[in-house]
Amino acid sequence: MKFRKIILSLIIALLSYPLATFAQVEISGFDIIQNVYNRPTGDDQKGKLTMTLINSRGDQRIREIKQYLKDFGYVEKKIMFFISPADVRNTSFMNWSYDEEGRDDDQWIYLPALKRVKRISSDSKSDYFMGSDFTYDDLGDRHPLEDKHILLRQEKLDDEDCYVVESIPKEEDYMYSRTVTWIIKDKWIGLKKEFYDEDGEHLKTLSVQNYKKIEDYWIITNSQMYNVQKEHTTNMILENLEIDTGLSDTWFTERMMKRGI
Amino acid sequence: MVGKDHMKKMFLKIFPILLLLILSISIPSTASDRDLFFSGYVRTYNGALLKESGEYTLIRNTFNLNIEQRKGNVSFKVNPYIYQYSGKDLDIGLRQAYMDIFFRTIDLRVGKQQIIWGKAEGVFITDIISPKDMTEFLLPDFEEIRMGVNAVKADYYLGNHTFELVWLPVFTPTLMPSDSSIWQPQMNFAIPPQFDYSQKKVKKSLENSEVFFKYSAITSAADFELMAGYAWDDDPTMHVEKTIDPETHELTNLTVIPKHHRLTITGGSFSTTLGPLVLRSEGAYYAGKYFNTADSEASQGVVKKNYLHYLLGLDYTIWDINMSAQFIQQTILDYDESIDSDQYENTITYLMRKDFLRETLTLELFSYFGINNDDALLRPKIYYDIYDGFELTTGVNLFTGNKGRFGQYDNNDMVYMKLKYSF
Repeated sequence: MKFRKIILSLIIALLSYPLATFAQVEISGFDIIQNVYNRPTGDDQKGKLTMTLINSRGDQRIREIKQYLKDFGYVEKKIMFFISPADVRNTSFMNWSYDEEGRDDDQWIYLPALKRVKRISSDSKSDYFMGSDFTYDDLGDRHPLEDKHILLRQEKLDDEDCYVVESIPKEEDYMYSRTVTWIIKDKWIGLKKEFYDEDGEHLKTLSVQNYKKIEDYWIITNSQMYNVQKEHTTNMILENLEIDTGLSDTWFTERMMKRGI
Repeated sequence: MVGKDHMKKMFLKIFPILLLLILSISIPSTASDRDLFFSGYVRTYNGALLKESGEYTLIRNTFNLNIEQRKGNVSFKVNPYIYQYSGKDLDIGLRQAYMDIFFRTIDLRVGKQQIIWGKAEGVFITDIISPKDMTEFLLPDFEEIRMGVNAVKADYYLGNHTFELVWLPVFTPTLMPSDSSIWQPQMNFAIPPQFDYSQKKVKKSLENSEVFFKYSAITSAADFELMAGYAWDDDPTMHVEKTIDPETHELTNLTVIPKHHRLTITGGSFSTTLGPLVLRSEGAYYAGKYFNTADSEASQGVVKKNYLHYLLGLDYTIWDINMSAQFIQQTILDYDESIDSDQYENTITYLMRKDFLRETLTLELFSYFGINNDDALLRPKIYYDIYDGFELTTGVNLFTGNKGRFGQYDNNDMVYMKLKYSF
């Protein structure tokens, strides 16, 4: 199992792309993505994440995780506890993500078989998370300055008024040549996102299937990533989500990684 | 003796009082309840020697169970196991059986437990609390190599800083293979020796207990540990009594007396990231370790020296292949040429691992290279998740060289297959 680059809270951010309203004020693609990036998601969150991996034959594999995250201002700390499959149960992962531009995340993993917390490198953004169709970067907090953003058009999608924004990475060897995102105007949620590979071919599509308002925050609770080239799907469900419960700082320590939940 | 007895009595009186004090001043944490939970695995493991006409060296079925429950601020875990070998009685035991008490800033764990320290992988430097089961050399999973020990462990937490105190009331030595085992280490004597095990056992007493302390921290810049221990050497020193015929001056009798000695250990470890690299280091200073010597003036053929054991390691990823390299050196200080062991013993370990098919198929090569004796242990293996929690592993253990830690097992090259179901 690879657990590096897990920035799971950012799933919520990724799946919740909010944007400025296009109807009244002209807004650039960059401004839209900047607003998405800065969208508040609460001071702390906890919830259970279930990923169902489905291959082209319909075979399914389930991954379940409990996650806790807290914004400390200059750093956002997250801790994840793996529940299933059974052979990774009690494995935990901790990530500290810094606001400081260009500063790498700090990451640790606790493997119950080894009974110790191990520091790992956060330098594998293009790796797929737990064999799913989400890369660590897909789940992560990609800074708007890393891409050039172009507002392509406005159109309706699933009866929602959306902006359609194309994002082209500035980094030459990035795993995607471009992405196209549909964003609901009045809710600031990314409803759909298409990813194109380095050859410009359509690689995969992220589709939001359910979202709701929790504690004044729009949260996507059900989404699907479909890899059109591999005919492989990952369904992601976020349940039992609680926001701003006043999570203690002590959750984000080596002690909790070892103790588990 | 009167003073020691008095101290013992005082300790036995004071310890429970201190414990009660700690319990009474601590504020319960907010640990959540967890129902009685069962997990574990069933595994079948077959191995055949590549030399000696493919003789099966291992046919073993394992049932490993973890039973856990948490109620408020207390929890327990019991980890029984059953090994079934072809043609032998069942081997049943408890790898761990302990209770936890969680307070706001202190965790207390009492009972049989595995305690793992340090940053090294596949090497034991500051990781010296849980003794090793060496009945199959270094080949089992590390969870099975490290034996549980009866201990009282207290951790005091200050943010991401941890102060850990471990008391082992009873010493447990390394578990060595039987005399008939293919994993019995080579011992070179001029004539076949007799063994006198009368001094091997360390008496179970308070004064023979072991104490360890560790301070550790994880920070954004680096993780580090500082440790100290007053322990016993897990491996016995082989004291040698020689009988020489006064007329012929020939060696007529050799008696080997295995004996454990006290050790004082101080050490530490750290790890940090340098961009895509993880740099690790670990080292320890062992005061009072005994070595065999050819010095005729040395009592029972042994000499007491201090020695250093340290490691430098690097983890990195190239072309999606996870790699890890470690350089390990053991140095005997104040060395003299008559000592049997080399002054410097150098070892390198190397790990390569790559996942395929959405992390369901993994290729791995882990190797030890002994520099002094030009020997090695190469362990290529493939593991495949047939279904979630259901894993097939096949691999080969290849020993090269003809002497040294790995070369001595040159005839033990083995191909194996494991099927494991985790629940």
